[in-house]
Amino acid sequence: MNVLEINDLCKSYDGFMLDHLNLVLPQGCIMGLIGENGAGKSTTIKLILDMIHKDSGTIRIFGKNNTDNLKLLKEDIGVVMDEVGLPECLTARQVGNVMKHTFRNWDDAEYLRLLKKLSLPDNKPFKDFSRGMKMKLGIAIAMSHGSKLLLLDEATSGLDPVIRDEVIEMFNDFTRDETHSILISSHIVSDLEKLCDYVAFIHKGKLLLCDEKDKLLAQYGILHCASEQLKSLPPQAVRYKKENPYGTEALVLRDSIPAGMDISPVSIEELFVFMVKEAG
Amino acid sequence: MKGLLLKDLYMLKHYCKSYIFIAIIFIAVSLSGNDNMFFVFYPVILCGIIPVNLLGYDERSRWIQYSGTLPYTAVQIVSAKYLIGLFTQITMLSVTGIATMVKMGMADRIRINDFIILMLMMLIVSTVTSSLTLPFIFRLGVEKGRIAYYFMIGFIFAASFAAGNILGEDLHSEIEINNILTILCIIGTGVYILSWYLSVKLYEKRIL
Repeated sequence: MNVLEINDLCKSYDGFMLDHLNLVLPQGCIMGLIGENGAGKSTTIKLILDMIHKDSGTIRIFGKNNTDNLKLLKEDIGVVMDEVGLPECLTARQVGNVMKHTFRNWDDAEYLRLLKKLSLPDNKPFKDFSRGMKMKLGIAIAMSHGSKLLLLDEATSGLDPVIRDEVIEMFNDFTRDETHSILISSHIVSDLEKLCDYVAFIHKGKLLLCDEKDKLLAQYGILHCASEQLKSLPPQAVRYKKENPYGTEALVLRDSIPAGMDISPVSIEELFVFMVKEAG
Repeated sequence: MKGLLLKDLYMLKHYCKSYIFIAIIFIAVSLSGNDNMFFVFYPVILCGIIPVNLLGYDERSRWIQYSGTLPYTAVQIVSAKYLIGLFTQITMLSVTGIATMVKMGMADRIRINDFIILMLMMLIVSTVTSSLTLPFIFRLGVEKGRIAYYFMIGFIFAASFAAGNILGEDLHSEIEINNILTILCIIGTGVYILSWYLSVKLYEKRIL
């Protein structure tokens, strides 16, 4: 079953267009949405939640159209946006009281456990929280109401590396239940590389690629060679090349390269950068 | 919607303590013998701006966007602000009402009919003021909406003053006053419901 299905989603603003986006997130999986600033990641997440209205296309969450009884669907969706917009005067305990009356499946014990785990004070006003603490509180809320889908927009930004690692572990634990899924966008591609089963690259509102992470890592590699060597390869094998005084670095399809050539593994970050440059 | 109301009550407790102070000052001035109705009316009308201020804090903290991720409909988000407004106006009206009764008692001229008319007038003026402002704020945001609020207060005071002059000369019987009040109550309720409906429709179109 697919938790999220996006078909031909379009949205245009002045100077930006999300162009026929297609995404499928299978149940139990984590998908990373990777893109530069302004690529359309936050717009996609806001469109899923109908916070902005689409121009065309369809979005289905848990098999249901996202505009049909979204209130009910949101009971099962935990969201952390790039800024957690809680009232500045509220303490974490008061936020818990508000959320208890907001979500039908609010789990107060789990919320208090997460506050403790994430070292968040329950009696300090939100305005006195650091950016990292604010994000952690947002994560605690998103994970305390029995969510089946987490939508995370830059949720790990502002966290120090140790906490980031802990939070990523929490997300991993979350998907141990095979009915749980995550769609996460982040600039920190290394986090996504650790976490995701699927990656989707968005560039200037267009989907460049969406596939299983392990498949992509097995499929692509980086070839270091001389320019003349590269010319001898079949053109379809080379996705992008970068020349410098010391030789040529190229993103290649491993299967199309003759045996014996020096191909090193590609990281998701490198793959993204190469593909964005290829797309122009 | 309970969560939204609770959140607004927490904010009310934190941000709106000054309203209690203002109310005490105005009521004290009124009790000290000043017959100017402004001192009785103003604390109740001031409560009309509370939903506007709460929306201002919501905008600043980006709660407006965050609430879009929570299981609330536009109807619930808008209704919570109207209910909080009504709650504060009725609370202040009760306090002002007690003060007015005390004042009437001190002057030894308690007239229940006058009292009811005064309370109703205050409630109508206060709710109509916020009714005419809130749709602008739900659509335009607080900064531009606040200008609309002050414009509305000026307009309503001028209209009340003009109406008072005209009615003062033309009304000769209690029945006429009661009829006009009934009409004003119906209009006030209608404006309030229409305002709520407009706010919902405008909020649904707002980009979060």
